[in-house]
Amino acid sequence: MSDNYLIVKTSMGEYLVRKSSNVKYSESDEWISVSGNIAVVGVSDYAQKKLRQVVNVELPEVGKYVNKGESVAIIESVKAVSDVYSPLSGKVVEVNNALTLHPELVNTHPYDDGWLFKIEILKPDELSELLDPEEYVNKIMSSEK
Amino acid sequence: MRSSPLIDVEKAYGANLGQFAGWLITMDFGDPINECKEVRLRAGLFDISHMGRLVIKGFKSYEFLQKLATKDLSKLRQGEMSGPALILNKRGGIKDDVMLYKLSDHEWLMVCNAANTEKNLQWMKEIREELKMSESDVVIEDITDRTVLLALQGPKSPEVLESLGIEEVKTMKLLNFIPKLKLRDSETFLVSRSGWTGEEVRSYGFEILSDIPNGIKIYRELLEAGVRPSGLVARDILRTEMGYVLYGSDIDEDVNPIEARYWIALTRGKEDCIGCQEVWSRYKEGVKRFRFGFKMKKDVKAIPRHGYRILAGDEVVGEVTSGAYSPTLERCVGMGYINTSHAYLGFSLDILIRDKRYEVKISDFPLI
Repeated sequence: MSDNYLIVKTSMGEYLVRKSSNVKYSESDEWISVSGNIAVVGVSDYAQKKLRQVVNVELPEVGKYVNKGESVAIIESVKAVSDVYSPLSGKVVEVNNALTLHPELVNTHPYDDGWLFKIEILKPDELSELLDPEEYVNKIMSSEK
Repeated sequence: MRSSPLIDVEKAYGANLGQFAGWLITMDFGDPINECKEVRLRAGLFDISHMGRLVIKGFKSYEFLQKLATKDLSKLRQGEMSGPALILNKRGGIKDDVMLYKLSDHEWLMVCNAANTEKNLQWMKEIREELKMSESDVVIEDITDRTVLLALQGPKSPEVLESLGIEEVKTMKLLNFIPKLKLRDSETFLVSRSGWTGEEVRSYGFEILSDIPNGIKIYRELLEAGVRPSGLVARDILRTEMGYVLYGSDIDEDVNPIEARYWIALTRGKEDCIGCQEVWSRYKEGVKRFRFGFKMKKDVKAIPRHGYRILAGDEVVGEVTSGAYSPTLERCVGMGYINTSHAYLGFSLDILIRDKRYEVKISDFPLI
């Protein structure tokens, strides 16, 4: 399966936005990829470029129930520490333990090996509140005119 | 927002930009950790043009600065720098830490923190008035916008400058400067043996002041000579490793230099400057907290940051003011204020990071 990427160019840089029918984005720069009732969550290429060199990732406990918009993980770069907000309400069913040893995967592979956690979707209605790839491109463009 | 005249040149070298003290500035060139390593092992180049550059001249400039700064300037000769000196408020709190260059008997250069340039200008004018000195007795001129300040740091710095035709570096001592030195294709206002990254354990770095066109040329010349461009993130890590303070993080108007243990910025016995008496009376009374460093365990990846609490058991006994991952030690380090009753130098306390406790060893500076 080959993914499509949209390329966004702004005055500040160039970013990839993964384009697929099951991929959506949050206003706070997380992506989700949905299959069935499970969503994989990560941060976008735009987000990782803003965070820069990631040195530490703190993930939620498996089994934890989270609300949409709740801070569930921490991504720390040499420069600053940032919250990752859950794009959906649900139950954390798996976390990417590879990030403990290799936090830099968030930088190098934001859309695949750098995923953060998987969530069992409890409120499918919330999906429609998220951004399509095209809408997310516009969001980046307007935040970096 | 203000930005360095070099910003476009830096962008062409891959600079990632960010904001600092009202300036658009280069945070890194993609890999700040390696930028640090490069400075420790070889040489790195920092554009520090955001720092304020004020010329203070006139027949009363010396008298004025003696009143303004904590360091005794009486023994300073032309071509010498004061080392870090403090400007204090009347309570003995720190308004800024600055470097003073004696250009001549009646002309001085002050390099100050970017965030404080305007504040210092204002304060100096107030003090000038209070001392009943006229605008011609003490002329204060802001040359920040028409100059470039670069810091070439790391053990290979002397070699690099020598290869560009500056023979004088061989004999130049720490905190000395030479005006109007010429590189191969450019000329400077001055080159000083100084810096804020602390590689002087083995060798001293240099700071180079020039006009803008020459600054652009010098930047390119140094990079072509093999120096790695570095950003503010690396500079912040390097100064943290050394235990050097950052204004606004580790010191401010409410911090007394005694509790900051900012000894190198004081001349003992100098009581005739603004705020100095308050400092020395504090020295006699003693202080309630001290700035110390700490080192975290090697496997901990969470970085201690400004505002995190330092604990002894459940008791809050201090607060972190700066922290960083040290590429040199391959562990996180930092500094903060610890109550003197609990400044267990050489032993351990805990730091609270997002509700989790991490044991740290209380250490003196430098941390590497």
